[in-house]
Amino acid sequence: MFKVRKDEPGYAFVPKTDAPEKNRYGKFIELIRESDVLAGKSLNINGDNAVSENPDRYKQHGFYFNADNCIACHACESACSEKNNLDPHLAFRAVGYVEGGTYPDYHRMNISMACNHCDDPVCLKGCPTRAYTKFAEYGAVLQDPDICFGCGYCTWVCPYNAPQLDPVQGHVEKCNMCVDRLEVGLKPACVSACLAGALDFGVIETKPENREQLETQIPGFPNPEITHPNIRFQQTKSLPREMTRPDSMPIRYERDEQGEGKYKTKVRVLKKDRQWNLKLLNSRENPLVLFTLLTQGAVGIFTILFLASWFGMTGASATTHPLLYSAVLFGTVAVQVIALVLSAMHLGKPHRFYRGFNNLRYSPVSREAAGIVVFMNLLGAYAVLELAPILFPQLLTWMPASLVDTTKAFLGWGALISGPLSIYLMYLAYRIKARPFWDHWQTLTTFMGNTLVLGALVIGLIYGTTLIIDGQPVATFYQWLAWPVVVGLVMEGLGLYVHARQLNRRGGEGAASQYEQTTRFGKSYLTRNAALLITIIAMAGFGFSSLEGWLGLAVWSGLSFLIIATMLVGRALFYVLVIPTTMPGAFFWRNQGFEEHARETGLADMPQVGVVPDSH
Amino acid sequence: MLFGRKHKNPIKIADKGVVEWKYTTCGYCSTGCSIEVGLNKTGDAVASRGVGSAPVNQGKLCLKGIFEHELFKSAGRGSAPLLRDKRHDPFKAVSWDQSLDKVASEIKRIQDKYGPDSFAIVSTGQIMTEEFYTLGKLSRGVIGTNNYDGNTTLCMSSAVSGYKRSFGSDGPPGCYDDFDDTECLLAIGSNLPEQHPIIYWRLQQAMEKRKFPLIVVDPRVTMLAQQADIHLPITPGTDLVLLNSLAHVILDEGLEDKAFIDSRTSDYESFARLVEQYDPITSSRICGIDEDTIRNVARTYARAGAAMTIWTMGINQSTHGSDGVVGINNLNLITGNIGKPGGTSLSITGQCNAMGTREWSSCSGLPGYRALENEQDRKDIANYWGIDEEFFPKKRGLFQTDIFPAIETGQVKGLWLIATNPMTSMTNTPRIRKNLEALEFLVVQDAYADVETNEYSHAYLPAAVWAEKEGCFTNTERRVNLIRNVIAPHADSKPDLWIFNQMAKRFDQGKKIKFPETAEGVFQELRELSKGRMLDYSGMSYEKIEAQGGIQWPCTEGDETGSPRLYTDGKFQHADGKAKLIPLPFVDNNERPDEDYPFWLNSGRVVEHFHTRTRTGKIGNLNKFSPTPYMEMNPDAASELGIEHGSYARLTSRRGDAVVMVQLTQRVPPNMVFVPFHYHDCVNRLTLGLLDPHSRQPAFKQCGVHIEPAADQKAASVRNKAARTY
Repeated sequence: MFKVRKDEPGYAFVPKTDAPEKNRYGKFIELIRESDVLAGKSLNINGDNAVSENPDRYKQHGFYFNADNCIACHACESACSEKNNLDPHLAFRAVGYVEGGTYPDYHRMNISMACNHCDDPVCLKGCPTRAYTKFAEYGAVLQDPDICFGCGYCTWVCPYNAPQLDPVQGHVEKCNMCVDRLEVGLKPACVSACLAGALDFGVIETKPENREQLETQIPGFPNPEITHPNIRFQQTKSLPREMTRPDSMPIRYERDEQGEGKYKTKVRVLKKDRQWNLKLLNSRENPLVLFTLLTQGAVGIFTILFLASWFGMTGASATTHPLLYSAVLFGTVAVQVIALVLSAMHLGKPHRFYRGFNNLRYSPVSREAAGIVVFMNLLGAYAVLELAPILFPQLLTWMPASLVDTTKAFLGWGALISGPLSIYLMYLAYRIKARPFWDHWQTLTTFMGNTLVLGALVIGLIYGTTLIIDGQPVATFYQWLAWPVVVGLVMEGLGLYVHARQLNRRGGEGAASQYEQTTRFGKSYLTRNAALLITIIAMAGFGFSSLEGWLGLAVWSGLSFLIIATMLVGRALFYVLVIPTTMPGAFFWRNQGFEEHARETGLADMPQVGVVPDSH
Repeated sequence: MLFGRKHKNPIKIADKGVVEWKYTTCGYCSTGCSIEVGLNKTGDAVASRGVGSAPVNQGKLCLKGIFEHELFKSAGRGSAPLLRDKRHDPFKAVSWDQSLDKVASEIKRIQDKYGPDSFAIVSTGQIMTEEFYTLGKLSRGVIGTNNYDGNTTLCMSSAVSGYKRSFGSDGPPGCYDDFDDTECLLAIGSNLPEQHPIIYWRLQQAMEKRKFPLIVVDPRVTMLAQQADIHLPITPGTDLVLLNSLAHVILDEGLEDKAFIDSRTSDYESFARLVEQYDPITSSRICGIDEDTIRNVARTYARAGAAMTIWTMGINQSTHGSDGVVGINNLNLITGNIGKPGGTSLSITGQCNAMGTREWSSCSGLPGYRALENEQDRKDIANYWGIDEEFFPKKRGLFQTDIFPAIETGQVKGLWLIATNPMTSMTNTPRIRKNLEALEFLVVQDAYADVETNEYSHAYLPAAVWAEKEGCFTNTERRVNLIRNVIAPHADSKPDLWIFNQMAKRFDQGKKIKFPETAEGVFQELRELSKGRMLDYSGMSYEKIEAQGGIQWPCTEGDETGSPRLYTDGKFQHADGKAKLIPLPFVDNNERPDEDYPFWLNSGRVVEHFHTRTRTGKIGNLNKFSPTPYMEMNPDAASELGIEHGSYARLTSRRGDAVVMVQLTQRVPPNMVFVPFHYHDCVNRLTLGLLDPHSRQPAFKQCGVHIEPAADQKAASVRNKAARTY
């Protein structure tokens, strides 16, 4: 057990107060009854099997933050980092602020935020490895870095920036509610360290002494409906109508005077000029850009190939070129394998990749991975059944031919269904409430559209070449193939059009992403859109033309190059533009703009700057 | 395992394996927090925590204290003495004997050639009281230079001077407990949440129990100003006008404490005549605070049963810093707010042991608040040390801020710097560089070999830091607290006390005087020298100090504990036993913004850093909150100049230039910028630093600058990075 000192001051102990039976969301605050099998068990902290006798042990606890009082002295986050032995680039708790007004009527509201140990822990649900547990003890949501494989998905879904992906260690760590201190009745280290009567802690829905409010929101704090966080606030001091953030996020908060008087997230327009910033498209999500596109390509190639003979494109059938057909199938499997390896390389701990399937029940990432692996296996088996009789004609003779055909058909159709299904599952993994830019059906139309386009383009390149070598006409083949490309591109384009309009209308972080898209990346964005439009028209025109021979192939190749380049830019934009609903940062600390600057100038090479330098 | 996993996994929480906690006192600011440093099995310092029962901090620590154990292993420490002939030669590591011999012989050579005062010694507010006393003994009693002072001239000398002028002696009369009794608190140029977070916590706790008006005077909307009931955004450099005007209203409306004035103060008449001129209307036009607010504050303050004023550098670092302190004392004297619970003039000190140096270092006189100008004091100390009384000069020599200019004029040829970094901390550093270049011999004694001033030294003596040694600090409320030795000094660095003692042995006069080997042995001398005086240590011992978490002087032999307040009996230290009311005419000699340099330049501290960052700049968990210099600038002013948030700007003044990153905020007015003072080659390249006529403290916070966007942002970022080796 944690050692309580003889002279431990009174303020460090969690007070005993009466809590209501249920919280405001209708959940029982007492998480389990004392008779429950889960009760009376040790938390096994650092191998200590003692059981605490804290009478409130099974009640949901939470932080209380009095925004009127916080002075941004950083004592809370320092006490946390000291206790948890954190390197400077990490922090389980961080202090940021919003400010507004005009001198001397200036107001700065500081916000200290850690994990809110939510009723609905989206981190826990999102984690593919099941590294998270919500404990009956104190309702603490704890994460085990030894299980984590460092995919960082929890850092995407958490609206409060609580889980910390450590690029050095390659895993996530987060606030542990100081359950070791709670077991002996002490408040968490951060709360005990507070120097301003701002941070407090107790059973949820109970007010600390001398406090008046029990609110669920303050300006800058994301919508609590996403996760039902266990944090309550006081904020009674008048604030200016508009509050801004000191960090580089193009976000401000504006009081909705006509409505309920709540603060709404709005775009902070600083510059209106359009820039390229192509360099910035190169981000740490590069492996994901390739992984998603390659996977969509693999599914697309197989889908188009499989369906080609159904649509009478016999030039691309297994019967016409059995060896090529198998080669393409194996090539597709290889593309999928490469994609998966890339996604594993993106993990902090690639050797733990197999843990990705541990949370099929809740995690969209597990389901996405499972979908892709099912597709890949069906495809692989199908490819083997295609190739085996060619290389080893005797191999399957022991099986009735009909059984072989049925199996092959089953595998082929299975792959045909599981392929797009896995793309759909991939899309679901991006429907994240804390990332409004992605949280839209446009992600689906883009993913599906890209699948169709990539498949058709690649098949066109391979079989166009083959047909020409065979001395066959290619015009009809291209006329047929042009349509999936056009449909895919139109799907993407339509989605993007509606997305852009709706983002602006919905406001918030999504609108801020759209603002970034049209300014900081404005030229890249417009060029991508123009390219998309041009290629739609060109491809449609190509579909009606009857270009034959090498000229046809050359035009097809040219268009393919343009379309794929456009797609790469589009996918890179998709990742770099997302603005999550995180907490406001400060001017240096937790300011993405400063972090980028520190990496660029080499300031980050000094570990005491608290920014991890680029690993490449 | 409510949900998430079927089987509960064991929980791992960082355990630093502390097996022993050792008692010390924080070595950063002067709040005087008691800290326990945790040692693990192998004896490494791995944790810090506030002492739960300590009267000052009651278990709390600010972020600097929370990470103080990381100091011992921080980068840039000196591991061996270094010598070189010329400052452009490389350093050679030498033995302690070689280095001390060399330094001693250079001191003797310079003194023989140019006279005893041509070798100057500038110390600090960072080392222990016992070390200060020993250094004083060495400087005044052995080396015999009268150009000996501390860098406390940069922070507290105005408070010292103001206390002396008003009350007849240095010594802050109040304590933190006064927050619990006061009915009105006036904070002038003091930003507790950022500069003294634990004192702020004490204030916050008091306000939580019993709300009283908090009035803050500061040109910036500091964190404290934001928490204030009344904020007075004053025009820089005009606090004296405000203070005179408050007194004007109080006297004009008959709100003064007549009984107190009659029985305990002198010179009321001339004071009243002077403040007569400072009616709120006239004053409002100078200080920028409207007449109604002046009247309101004056009435609130005077009508409070007990009212107190705290101040820090906003008052002290000014051309009329000493007058500002006297003005505060005047205010408290006419309202009867000295020597009673909740009523006081409490200077909030800067360095951990600025008080210790004021009390015992002999910088401005002789140990124990004794003066060189006083014959009896000279006699007492000469007798106690066993030297000829005539060895002492009869008047104090140059202040620290006059020692550097004396290098220009050739009066000073050699300099010994102890735990101070003038290359970063002094105003107008371009001038300081020239000064240091001109020295025949410069000794730098510091815990850090990478302290910037070392660039100009001929000898470097590596000192132990903080709890690598033992001794006492005195805090803002006169509380003497103990630093136990926690771990051995880094590499071949040595405690400053040892260095002074070894140096003394190299002088003939030093062999005649007793220099106790241990800090506790020195403390014995302090007890004896202070017996029966206001500054009385005689009732203290190391054990007693540790047991009580610090003891406030006076603590007379036989007393159980110390005294929270001074002057409770109404007796002051002037010869007539009264406090002086001093008329303070305001002369505006500041460099004010003009057409060429249109912005006020203000400087100050941030919570995560201490002084010139030699310590905090290396501790990542502190430094990360502001790793490079920046400037707070008003967005309206910036947009006119085309300066963007997060970009670099270049500042120029009549002294030099600086490059800073711009943080746009309405915290500062459109005609002022604020730059933290912690960074090397930054704000002090610009500052003017006119000196206060009484305290010789420089005006860090008032001068004019010109601002432009850095034309080449990339070059600016390169320059900024090049200036930061930590």
